[in-house]
Amino acid sequence: MAEFLMYLTNGLVMGVINAISAIGVSLVVGIMRVINFAHGELYIFAGYFSYHLSLTLGLSPILAMPLSVIFVFLMGVLMERFLIRPTYGDEMYSLIITFVLSIILQNSALLIFGPYPNKPPTLISGATSFFGLFHYGNQRLFSFIISIAILLSVFYLIKRTWFGKSVRAISQDREMASLMGIDHLKVNMLSFGLGAALAGAAGVIIAPIFPVTPTGSSAISLTAFVVVVLGGMGSLKGCVVGGLILGILENLGAAYISTMYRHIFGFIILILVLVFRPWGLFGQRT
Amino acid sequence: MRRVVFLVVLVVSFIIGSLAFAQETIKIGVVGPRTGPAAATGKAFEEGIAIALDHINAKGGVLGKKLEVVFEDTGGVPEKAASAFEKLATRDRVPIVVGESHSSSALAEIEVANRYKVPFIICEAWHDDITKKNYRWVFRAGPVNSGVVDFYIAPFVKEHGFKKVAIVRENSDWGVGIAERTEFNMKNFGLPFVTLKVERESKDFYTELTKLKGENPDIILAYIYGTGLHFFVAQAHEVGVSPKALILDGAGPPSLWDSFWKNVGKAGELELFMSSMHEKVHLTPTSRKFWEDYKKKFGKDPSDYKTRSIYNVVLIAADAINRARSTTNEALVEALEKTNLEVTTGIVKFGLKLGSYEYHQWMPPMLVVQWQDQKQVVVFPKEAATGGLKRGR
Repeated sequence: MAEFLMYLTNGLVMGVINAISAIGVSLVVGIMRVINFAHGELYIFAGYFSYHLSLTLGLSPILAMPLSVIFVFLMGVLMERFLIRPTYGDEMYSLIITFVLSIILQNSALLIFGPYPNKPPTLISGATSFFGLFHYGNQRLFSFIISIAILLSVFYLIKRTWFGKSVRAISQDREMASLMGIDHLKVNMLSFGLGAALAGAAGVIIAPIFPVTPTGSSAISLTAFVVVVLGGMGSLKGCVVGGLILGILENLGAAYISTMYRHIFGFIILILVLVFRPWGLFGQRT
Repeated sequence: MRRVVFLVVLVVSFIIGSLAFAQETIKIGVVGPRTGPAAATGKAFEEGIAIALDHINAKGGVLGKKLEVVFEDTGGVPEKAASAFEKLATRDRVPIVVGESHSSSALAEIEVANRYKVPFIICEAWHDDITKKNYRWVFRAGPVNSGVVDFYIAPFVKEHGFKKVAIVRENSDWGVGIAERTEFNMKNFGLPFVTLKVERESKDFYTELTKLKGENPDIILAYIYGTGLHFFVAQAHEVGVSPKALILDGAGPPSLWDSFWKNVGKAGELELFMSSMHEKVHLTPTSRKFWEDYKKKFGKDPSDYKTRSIYNVVLIAADAINRARSTTNEALVEALEKTNLEVTTGIVKFGLKLGSYEYHQWMPPMLVVQWQDQKQVVVFPKEAATGGLKRGR
C-alpha cells in the first residue's frame, strides 16, 4: 500500500511537471498555429541562466529565477520578431525554422555552458515523511506547488483578462479580430514571448530537481509534444490532463510492468489516442 | 590580367604550401562523443589528446614528422559512430584510429575497421565482444566488462561481506554486458541479488528506488552512465535508500565530474566509484608526468580518468608507428602486437591468444574509490588502499 501511494504521488508530481513543461508549446500552437521545436532549448537556457546568476554571480535564487524567465521571455520576443513573423501563413516554414533554431541553440549551449549537467541551488533540501509510509523530496513538493500556481495563473490570464480575450479572438479569427482593433502582430509577439517564458519557468522550477544539460533539451521537447498531442493541440485543459495521464501511467507502468519500458507506456496511449481520437482528448475536431 | 595572374600565383602557392605542410605531419584519427549525453567524455578526450600531442611532438613527433589528430564526433550513437569511422578511413585516410567510450558505438566501429582494415585501439568501451570477436585490426588498451567485474567489483563485494546486492543497469550494450557478468559472479558466490533494468535516458528514479527499498539491499551496483548517475544518487538519498545501502558507480567518471557535488549534495558522501586514477596512486613515472603536464596546461588536477585513457592510446599509436617505421596497416598491427610500452597505468602488452576477449586486450589496474568527507579514499584492492570502507546507517 505504501509503495502504491508513493508511485501515485510521484505520478501526480511528475504529471504536473510534464504539464508545466508543455503548456508553453500548447499556448503557442493554440494561438499562433506555430509548433516551437526550440521549446526544450529555451527551458535549458533558463536552467543555465538560473544556475549562473545564482552560483556564478551570487544572486539570491529567489531573484535569479524570475530574472532568468525574463531573459528567456526576451529571447522569445526576439525569435518571434525576426524569425517567426516572416513565416506567418506557412506553417511548414515556421516548423523548419524552429527546428533549425533548436539545433543551433543546443550547440550554442554546449559551447557556452559546457557538456556537464548543472543544477541551480535547491531552495529546500531534505525529504518529508508521508505518515511514516514513504519519504518524498522537499524540492519536488516545492516545485509541484509553484507549478500549480503558475498553471492557475496561465488559466486566469487566458480566460479572464483583456489580453486573454484578444488572444482567443485572434486564435478564432485573425482577420475579424484585427478589424475589431486588436493589433495581432503585437499579440503574437507577446504570446510567443509568453510561451518562451513558460518554457523558462519550467526550466528554473525543475532544474533544481533534474540538473540541465545542453543535450537534455530534446527529451523535454519530446515529452512536451506527447503531452500536447495527447491533450489536444492548443487546449490548455488538455495539456494539464495529458501531463497527468502521462506522469501517472509511466510511474504505475514502471512499477507494475517494467522499469525498462517506462517511456513506452506514454507512447502506447499516444498511439491509441491518435488512432481513435486524432484531435486529442480536449482538442477541437476540424 | 594582372588580377588573374595574382590569383593563379595565390592558388599555386597555397597548394604548394599545403602539400609541404602535409608532408610535415602524420594524422591519426580519434572517435568519441563530443555531443550527446556523454559529451563530457569528448572534453576529457580533447584534454588528454592535447597533452599527449605536446609530449610526443616535444620528443620529435613520429617518423620525424609532427603528429596531429582528426577528432570525429560520434554523438554516442552507433550509426553516427560508424560513419565517423568511415570518414576517417576514406576521407582522411588516417593510418590508425584510437578512442571511443561507448560500447554500442565501438561495436559498430569495429565492423568498419575490419572492413577497411584500419588498426583501431579502443580505450574506454568495455563490452567483452569488442575484442572477443577476435578481429585482427581491433585492439583495446582499457577496461573490459568481465575483467572489471571478475577482478574488482565482485571481489570487492565479497571481501566486504555485503549480504544483499542490487544491480541497477541501463539498457545499453555496456549496461547489459556488465550486469550479466555481475549476476554470473553473484550466483557463483551464492549471494542473493536483484536486478533492475532502467532506461538510459531516465531522469526520475523514484519508482525504481521505491521498488529497491522493498528489497533492502546493502550495496547497489549502479551501471548507469552520465547525468543519470547524478539523478540516481541524489534521489536514492531523498527516498531513504542510501546511505543505508552504499552505491557503487560501476563506470566512474560521472562521480568525478566537477558538477557531481553540486548536483548530488550530501547524497554523494560514502558513494563508491570505479576509477583507474587517484592522485596518490602513481603506478609509473609516466603517470606522474601526465599529472604534472595536465596541471601545467589546465591549471587544475585532472579528474575524469578518461583524459588519461586517451592519452595512453595516443602514446601507444605513436609508439607503434615509430617502431613499424611505416604507416601501412599490416606493419602497424605487427608493431602493436609487439607493444611493450610504459603508459600511465602500467606496461602495455596485448594478449595474442585467439578465442576469448583477451585477444588484443590489455587491461589497466582499477581501483574502487569511496567519497569520504568529499575526499577520494581508495578502499579496494587492499594493496592500493588509502583507507578503510565506511558504511552508512
